[in-house]
Amino acid sequence: FVSFRPSVLDNFALLSGQLNTINKLLKNEKTPSFRNQVIIPLLLSPDRDEDLAKLTEQRVPVFSHEIVPDYLRTKPDPEVEEQEKQLSVEAARIGPEVAQKQIQTLNKLCSNLLEKLNNPRDDRDSESAAIRQSKPSFNPADTNALVGAVAFGKGLSKCRPPGPVAPGHPGQGPMMSGGPTLQQVTIGGGSGQQAGMGGPVGPQQQGQPGKIPSSIKTNIKSASGSMHPYNR
Amino acid sequence: MEAPPVTSMPVTGGAVNMMEYLLQGSVLDQALESLLHRLRGLSDNMDPETFTDHELVYLLKGQQGNPFILRARRSLSHPTSPWHLRYLGQPEVGDKSRHALVRNCVDVAASHSLPEFLNEMGFRMDHEFTANGHIFRKGVMKIVVSKLSRILVPGNTENTERLSLSYLVELSVLAPAGQDTVSEDMRSFAEQLKPLVHLEKIDPSKQRH
Repeated sequence: FVSFRPSVLDNFALLSGQLNTINKLLKNEKTPSFRNQVIIPLLLSPDRDEDLAKLTEQRVPVFSHEIVPDYLRTKPDPEVEEQEKQLSVEAARIGPEVAQKQIQTLNKLCSNLLEKLNNPRDDRDSESAAIRQSKPSFNPADTNALVGAVAFGKGLSKCRPPGPVAPGHPGQGPMMSGGPTLQQVTIGGGSGQQAGMGGPVGPQQQGQPGKIPSSIKTNIKSASGSMHPYNR
Repeated sequence: MEAPPVTSMPVTGGAVNMMEYLLQGSVLDQALESLLHRLRGLSDNMDPETFTDHELVYLLKGQQGNPFILRARRSLSHPTSPWHLRYLGQPEVGDKSRHALVRNCVDVAASHSLPEFLNEMGFRMDHEFTANGHIFRKGVMKIVVSKLSRILVPGNTENTERLSLSYLVELSVLAPAGQDTVSEDMRSFAEQLKPLVHLEKIDPSKQRH
């Protein structure tokens, strides 16, 4: 069992992505049929062409006679063409029933392989299974916390309306009759998300569920008389 | 600074109704490099772009019903750029098979007097945060990978504290209403980011609890 470094897998993923894009472009009905197009080089020069270099991301800096056979190729190499012809002859020779059976065998092999890849069996090397599980790259709870923060400020300090602000004690100011707020400060419920934060949380408010003084609870009570559509 | 295309028509009657299509996910810090590497390969060729923004969310309470929400955003890395004001509507319900979250979106640029102006109009700031990270583009799609931080002292963007050990990953498209192929393209792009990141349609109202 070969283990692939993440960078190799990444590159495979990039290749697959780019192939997808190319396929989509080729299938697009607005794409002309390339078989009907002819490309003729009008000017070859051994000098570096800056525009071309930029256009091709430095892959083709010079449009010279050296690169023409590769980039403007329309047929495979003669050896390859010969091999392809032999394969076509062979395929025509074996007849439709044999061909069909070979197709079925291939399909079965592929689906077996896919099944093995998708459902690792328990008697497989337990180490590889452990490696697979121990490297998750995302945490759904984090996703929800971040989405909540961006959507309506969950986990972010409520702001007091403009007025006399005591600097350094933003959690303690009285909640004046200012606007409604989007979030409920749930002392118990909030700890689920915030447990995920390992960062240095200073002795300040709003990050520490346990430390939020009861004054905030009181403040919410006093504001709850007005219209709070976002209250639970 | 985030700069989605501002509609070229004035925002008065007859303007094109722009919708934001959105898919969201997150990635842990340790997997960030792999994700950025993959995004660099998948996106249009452009120099890697980073941003640091400060977003303030304002509410205007009406007589009844839901408060009106506006989001004001400014760039901390380009302090002289205009502010950006955005309205996002409620997510469109209905077509469950649609792969992305769809909501009405209105974007305008504003001058630096925006916060005072909003206050004068009766808006009150509800919360604020800073976001910094990377932006990628692929065609009309925009991919933003951002680290969110809460602001500990209101108005002081130097003193922040990260919200989470993950980065938020958002794939979005701004398109006129009625273009349904957009979410298909988004979904196939999202497929290419698996299993690093799972981008999905997350209903924000379900995150309240």
